[in-house]
This record gives sequence, C-alpha cells and structure tokens, in this order.
Amino acid sequence: MADTKDLVLEVHGLKTNFYTYEGVVKALDGVELFLRRGDTMGLVGETGCGKSVTARSILRLVEPPGRVEEGEILFREIDPKTGEVNAVDILQLDEDEMLHIRGGKIAIVFQDPSTFPNPVFRIGDQIAEVILLHQDMKHDVLEMKINKLERILNMNPPPVNVSEIVAHLEQLRSMRGNPPEPDEKAKKKAAKWRAIEMLKLVRMPSPESVVNQYPHELSGGMRQRALIAMALACNPSILICDEATTALDVTVQAQVLNLLNQLKKEIGTSIIIITHDMGVVAETCNWVAVMYAGTTVETCATDELFANPLHPYTEGLLHAVPKLHEERERLPQIPGSVPNLIHPPSGCRFHPRCDFATEICKTEKPKLEEVQPDHWVACHHPRI
Amino acid sequence: MKLRDFILRRMILAIPVIFGVLVITWFLAFQVGDPAAMYINENTPQSAIESIRKAHGLDEPPHIQFILYLTNLFQGNWGESTSTSFRPVLEVIALKFPATIELAMLAMFFAIILGIPLGIISATKKDTVVDHFTRVFSLAGVSMPIFWFALMLKYVFYYQLAIMGLPHLPGSFRYDDLMFPDFKYTTGFLLFDSIVFEHNPRLFLDALAHLAMPAFCLGYLTLAIITRMMRSSMLEVMREDYITLARSKGLSERVVIYKHALRNALIPTVTVIGLAFGGLMTGAVLTETIFSWPGLGTWAARAILNSDLAAINGFTLLVALIFVTSNLIVDLVYGTLDPRIRYG
Repeated sequence: MADTKDLVLEVHGLKTNFYTYEGVVKALDGVELFLRRGDTMGLVGETGCGKSVTARSILRLVEPPGRVEEGEILFREIDPKTGEVNAVDILQLDEDEMLHIRGGKIAIVFQDPSTFPNPVFRIGDQIAEVILLHQDMKHDVLEMKINKLERILNMNPPPVNVSEIVAHLEQLRSMRGNPPEPDEKAKKKAAKWRAIEMLKLVRMPSPESVVNQYPHELSGGMRQRALIAMALACNPSILICDEATTALDVTVQAQVLNLLNQLKKEIGTSIIIITHDMGVVAETCNWVAVMYAGTTVETCATDELFANPLHPYTEGLLHAVPKLHEERERLPQIPGSVPNLIHPPSGCRFHPRCDFATEICKTEKPKLEEVQPDHWVACHHPRI
Repeated sequence: MKLRDFILRRMILAIPVIFGVLVITWFLAFQVGDPAAMYINENTPQSAIESIRKAHGLDEPPHIQFILYLTNLFQGNWGESTSTSFRPVLEVIALKFPATIELAMLAMFFAIILGIPLGIISATKKDTVVDHFTRVFSLAGVSMPIFWFALMLKYVFYYQLAIMGLPHLPGSFRYDDLMFPDFKYTTGFLLFDSIVFEHNPRLFLDALAHLAMPAFCLGYLTLAIITRMMRSSMLEVMREDYITLARSKGLSERVVIYKHALRNALIPTVTVIGLAFGGLMTGAVLTETIFSWPGLGTWAARAILNSDLAAINGFTLLVALIFVTSNLIVDLVYGTLDPRIRYG
C-alpha cells in the first residue's frame, strides 16, 4: 500500500469488547482493513466473526455493554475546493463531529429491511430527514425550481407564456454558481423532491407514491431499496452494506447488487459489502478482507483470493463452496467450531482448527503482512 | 367515511357492554334492599306503604321491574335519588358532574404532563440517581392506597401547616364561600366560570388552591402508572433496530429520543392513559369523600351508605359510559400515532 492518498478508509488494530455477565467478550482483536477510493470491498467470514461489529465500530454505533477499546480508524476525505486529502481518526472525534460523519460521509445499510425503517414515519420523510440534516439545501432548492420549469416547458401542449418561462429559467440557471439562501419551507419541499430523486435512483417503482407510504406498505425488496436510498441520500464517501441482501430473495438480491454496482459508478462511492456469501463477493467486489474470530486473516484482490488463498482458514472456506464441475458426496469442512470469544485461543485464534499449526501459533499472534505483492496475510505459515 | 363507519361500529358494539353493566348492577342492587324503605318512616301506615310500592312499580316481579327501569332510562328518567331530597338522578348528575370532571381533568393533565417526561428521563438515564428516584416515586404511587395518601396529604399540608401558623392548602370544598359569598355557578366548571363569567382572578386562584391537593392525590396513581409504562416501553423501543438506523443517519441523541423513539413508545402508554381515565372516576369516590369535594364521588359514596339504589345504578352507568368513550378515544389516538393501525 504505497500511496495512502488512495485509501479512503484505514483501520488499524481495532479492538472492541462487550462486557457481559458471563465475562468480557473480545469481539474484535486487532482488525486491519484498508479501502481504496472507488473500490468495492467484501468483508467475509462466518457468523459471529465480528463483521457487523467492525461496521458499527467504524461508525461508532457500538452500544453498551460494547465498547471500542483501542485502534485507529483513519477516514480520508478529499476537500472539494482545494483537492487536498484530509485524514481524521474517527475514534478521536467528539460526538458532534461524529454526527456530521454518520449518514453524511459514511452511511450504512443494515441487514433486515423489516425491522430497520421506523414504522411510524413515511418513507419520504425518513429520507428527507437525513438530507435536511447533512445537505446545504441551497443548490437543491434551485435545482428543484429549474427542474419544475423545464417540465412545464416540455409539456404538451406547450404553455402560453413560453418566453417568460425561458427568461425565468435563464435567470435561475445563472444563479447556479451562487444560489440564494432558501427559507425553511422551500428546504423541506426540496428535500422531499430529492427523496423522490433518490428513490428513482434506486429504481423504486412509482417513487412519487412511495414517498408518502409507510414501511409496512412496501415489500421487503422495496424497503431495502428505500434503506439504500436513505444511505445514499447525502452522497457518502463510504457506503457500508451490512448483509444488506441476505434477507432478500435471490432475484431481488441480484437486483440490489447490480444496483449497488451501478450506483458506485454514478456517485463514486466506495463500498464495503459485509457478507458470508462467497458468490456475492465474487460477483461484486474487487477487493476482499477475510475475518476470523475478530481478526483480519487475509486481504487481497478478489481474483487473487479465489485463485491463490494463502491463509489456511481462507483455503478451508473456499473448499467449502460447492463447485459446479465437481461431483461430491459431502463438502469438505473446517474441523471444530468458532471459538468462544470470552476465552479466545492464545496466539493465532485459528490454531486449534488449523492443520498446519505449530508451537509458535499457540503463543504468538501473527501480524498482517504483505507476503506477496498486494496480498496481506496474518499467518505464521502462509500457504505459498 | 371510514372513520365514521369505525366510530359507528364501535358505538353499536358498546350497546351489549352497557346492557351487561345495566343487568349486573340492577340485579345486584335489587338484592341489596327495599327501595320503598327510603320513602317511609315509623309512622307510615301499612296501606300507605302498599300504595308507595304500587306507585313505583315495586309490586311487580323482578324482570318486569327491570324492563320498567330500562324503559324509564331511555325516556331520560334515571329514577329519584332518595338521599338527595328525591331529586331526579339525571339532574343531580348534571349538577355534580362538572366538579368531578374538573378534578379528574386536572389530575389527568398533571399525570400526563409529569408522567411522560419522567418516564422518558428515567429510561434514557437508566440506572442513575434520577432513574432510581423516579422508580421509587412511581412505585410509591402504585402501592399507596388513595384514602391513606389523601389523609396524609391533608395531615401535612392542611393540618400541620395550619397549626404552625404557616400558609396552608385548603382541605375541603371547591372554593372559600366566606370570601366569595355571591358566587353562582354558570357552567359548573369553577376554573372556567371564575375567569369567563366572573372575571375574578382571585376566585380562580382560590379554586386552584382548593384543587391542588385532591387533584394531586387523585392523579398520583395515574402518574405512577404512566411513568412506569413510559419507562418500560421507552427502554424497549430504544433497543429496536430503527433507533440504530436513526443514529446511523447522524441524528442527535435528542432527535433520536424525542422523535424516533417517543412516537413508538407512546402507543402502549396511550392505552394505559385511556384505562386510567376510567379509573379516575372510581378514585374520585375516595378522594372526593376525604376532601369533601361536592362532586359525583361524594354523592355516590353517600348513596351507597343510604341504599339509594337509583343513584348507585345511575353512577355505575355513567362510569361505564365514560369507560367505553375513553376506550374509543384511545383507539382513535392509536390510529394517528401508528399508521399500521387501520380502522375497519
């Protein structure tokens, strides 16, 4: 990772604990991640390995009894005016600065579309809320007015006072460089208009009526689209999809994944896709990080990972994916089960299940190192 | 259209409820004593007793008497309150109802205004000193019997303060009739009358001072119930996924709590408020008696002591009607709070 300027997000040594009655759950123990600008990164691992906790730690949404203990989460933002790259450590920000980042700079789409939208507010209001919170509405109000006039001009039959409208339109367009300060009412109207635009962006059928509907009136796929629209409403630098497609039908899942890929091109957002589905990773991600029991064990380009896995756990994980051209009675599996994180194994957390473990694996925790160009592994005995 | 149908249907459904109440109270009252006893004394000749029985239909078999009672009820004749100088029950209710409603409204107002914020604070500051204090306060409210609490209030804020020569709260009646000898009720709602018809702020303040103790006493139980309900439903809602979503949007904690959580947490609380309003009517019997409040409660208590059967039946019917109405209102409020609830 030569040029850190390309990285929009860097996570180093992230540790998050949960203080439960049974003991301290060491959910994250030194997570390392890096996300390049414009990339789609897959964050994979089995259930309970800390993928979601990582996502919530990045947004500082870990709730008690959980707490982020240590680490560094560097978020690099390009200043739109100067083009300079500013780095901030999210864990060092105060709560007010954090409110600015959440939803505005880094947005998240959660797993379950049936429980995440607030049942008592209209979809449009829930999207408009985040727009009003983070956007300076000056441009939006102006664009809404221009858009309205353009629509009137294109009406059939054309309006009688075309010249007047054209003149007004020109006047509005000339203000684009320095739009006037709108009043509250206009802001709210523009936010609603933007909400409809966002719903159009996520290919929501009949967005004009959906904005006025409540979550329970929509299907699961539509609700998931609404959640994505909410997350994308402020053109975030990073979009985290926490199992955003897991609860959906396969067909809807494919639609949503396609949509994310298209949106990435349209908006230029970097995406983190959290999943345990290797198929989703192969199809949508160009970079992958594999997690095991709260640590990053391997991270590299997707093609590289599938062709040349270096960590014994990744190898086992890929072997467990059924292949079309092979005929097998039973899929190979990784022996043992996910370790108890209150008393995690010493040294490398994977060593009790690893075929290649030696003495050093029991005592010393391996560091994530670049063993091959652009291919990082945390293992004492990488499978080179 | 839909809303009107809903209200209409609910009103039709209320008919069997009210009928059930009528059957039960009337037959229970029928077992208790002889209504004719109230019209006679030791000098009344036997023949006169017979004619009194005949005049009031008391010589008929019970089911005929009940039908007679229902017929009268629908004609607006709820019987005579024998313990209130034989005045028609409906007339007495009309006279005394405003005093009770004013008391119950103020109790309710104060229970809601204090109870909801206390519940929210208690939930958002869970396991802090504020929370512990609120929980003890509300536990005391649901545990203390009204009659005991009313006496304690009166003992401290009226009796003890008075014998120490300190300014104290009045312990009985709606206003001081020595200070305002010329006052006449217009609507019966004293707070309203004193301002709108009398233009007398001193009377208004005097009425408020008289209301303070009974309203607090009556409202405390409801306040406690609302606080506890609000706290638990708020705690539950704060664990919901949509709260995490609201936080992930970058909304401040204040907006998350007072916009996203509150509206959801209010739904169960509103149910409790509706039920509690009916409960205030029964609480009023105890409170009014202790504070000599000239309302329906005192009247009903005296009616029970005097076997004034028509008055007891009338009061019970009124309470049943209030229960049914407040439940209907609760269901309507539900619909505005929660869009998932549809009338139909």
